[in-house]
Amino acid sequence: MLELADVDTAYGAAPMLRNVTLNVRAGELVCLLGPNGAGKTTTFMTACGVVRAQRGKVRVMGNDVAALGTEKLAALGVGLVPEGRRLFPGLTVIENLRLGYDAVSNRGPKFDLQLDKMSNLFPRIRERLRQTAGTLSGGEQAMVALARALIGEPKLVIMDEPSLGLSPKLIGEYFEITQEIHRRGTTVLLIEQNAEMGLRIADRGYILVKGRVAQEGPARELLSSKTAKSLYL
Amino acid sequence: MNHPASRVVPRAAAAAATTILLQISGAAFVYAILSAEEGWQVVALLGLLGFGFYLLERLPWINDVVVALLARVPVVTTATAAVIVLGFPFLVGSNTYILHLLIVAQLYAVLALALNFQLGSANIPNFATGASYGIGAYVSALLAVNFNVSFWLTLPVAALAATLFGFVIGIPCMRTRDTYLALVTIAFAVVVHQLLNNFEWTGGPNGLVGIPAPTLFGHSFADPIEVFGWTLPSQANFYYLAAAVVIIAVITARRLHESHIGLAWNALRADEMAAKAQGINVAWYKVLAFAVDAFLAAFAGTIYAFYVSYISPDNFTFLVSVTIMTMVIVGGMDNIFGVIVGAFLLTILPEKLRAFSDYRLLIFGVIVIGFLMIRPEGLFPQRLRHYGVER
Repeated sequence: MLELADVDTAYGAAPMLRNVTLNVRAGELVCLLGPNGAGKTTTFMTACGVVRAQRGKVRVMGNDVAALGTEKLAALGVGLVPEGRRLFPGLTVIENLRLGYDAVSNRGPKFDLQLDKMSNLFPRIRERLRQTAGTLSGGEQAMVALARALIGEPKLVIMDEPSLGLSPKLIGEYFEITQEIHRRGTTVLLIEQNAEMGLRIADRGYILVKGRVAQEGPARELLSSKTAKSLYL
Repeated sequence: MNHPASRVVPRAAAAAATTILLQISGAAFVYAILSAEEGWQVVALLGLLGFGFYLLERLPWINDVVVALLARVPVVTTATAAVIVLGFPFLVGSNTYILHLLIVAQLYAVLALALNFQLGSANIPNFATGASYGIGAYVSALLAVNFNVSFWLTLPVAALAATLFGFVIGIPCMRTRDTYLALVTIAFAVVVHQLLNNFEWTGGPNGLVGIPAPTLFGHSFADPIEVFGWTLPSQANFYYLAAAVVIIAVITARRLHESHIGLAWNALRADEMAAKAQGINVAWYKVLAFAVDAFLAAFAGTIYAFYVSYISPDNFTFLVSVTIMTMVIVGGMDNIFGVIVGAFLLTILPEKLRAFSDYRLLIFGVIVIGFLMIRPEGLFPQRLRHYGVER
């Protein structure tokens, strides 16, 4: 579904990713971990074509992301949850969701149905549909950002540090929902700092340190690995 | 729900009566301010208007109630508006000055609606709307003066020429944002003004004279209108023409606002990267905003050229773009009604302040600042859309 092969990325003269190889296969939930400054968000940006790889290939469902452009990913069936949610604050929750829906399907009549589905999956946002996104709490914003990515029923969801700034209770709720959408068949790349929570729900994981993949493997193995422990646990 | 707007669920008859009364009151206010001759009359009416907006700011539910009322009886609302627009010249009678002000205000309303797609919907600070307005005016005037082309044919040709110009400005703007984008549009506005000034075939600084009045089914727009024994001055022809273009602009603006295009413009206004993540081709939507702006501005330009029958580059300076931008900001970004109110207010106000002679522009500035202090988000801020289940 998603493949980064020998990818180097830099911001100007500052190298960020070096020789990063990462695979997410259909139906998997893969967790990408790393401390601050490891290059997690750069990996997200590179995977969705916002930042161009200097070397290597980035492919989504067999398509070269650099040639495709970020705006074509949604139509392919890729839902993106960027760091900091990046909702449209002046638009209502329903407008934010509509944009997510139009990005994939653009078929009007089904929107109500999908909206119902999202309201059931995220009961917290049901009462907030007419509220502007900028006035929601951090937790509600996180839920709307995920709902916006999911409303078009994507095949792959890439999430960048969705738990950042959430209370422990909300983090638990958020990860349960993530697990649920994965159970329903959506492939997920979860980019996280919260190693324990992330690896508990993931099938496989990668640990990024200083722009390089330091370790990879099944999530359970990583949970007990020295690298993960030295960094987080 | 205890929101005042939802408490007021009027019966159709009551809603219809209130709607008619509201619209007639609005029209009466416009008539009163247009007819005011003395300085104190203008000040009193502006004070009333300011108080009205102060109430709207303090009690925002009033706005919701009025909107709910108008929406409750859409046919009555539309019919009343149509009667008012059609009947206004009869009320004005032979006062051609008021008709002139209304024509100019309507043309500015079209220009402000055109710019609203960019500034209001997509936060693209385009300072070249005045240039598109000028291109529309010049293309149509050149065709009419040199090749005797009918006004009705020059209208679409001028619109297409300006749209092409819109695409041309849009292309370098695809890769720029905010201040830099504004600079690019300023450059285009200045270049167009300079070219109009320097080309020989545009008449240079002397402009173009003798633009013939349009005709429709044998009736010349230079002649008065005779209807049911009433005689309306020749300006009434252009008043109705400008009103028709305002209606076209409003319908276009409304349809675009409610469509995916309007939503996409709102999204890229907030966050281009997030907009891309939602499948929005940011570059294309920016160029589209430029093209739609130029298309509508050219309509206004064409009518202006044929109305005044003489145009020069000084009619389309950079300052015209600034004025249009002020109308959008004061009226309310991304609010169609607000933008029209802004255009009317800022067209009529400087004329009505002539009673204050030398202090006219100073007072005008103070009033604009005053309105923005009362309503910081514009006289009528952006309204929320309604979708599916909440309808």
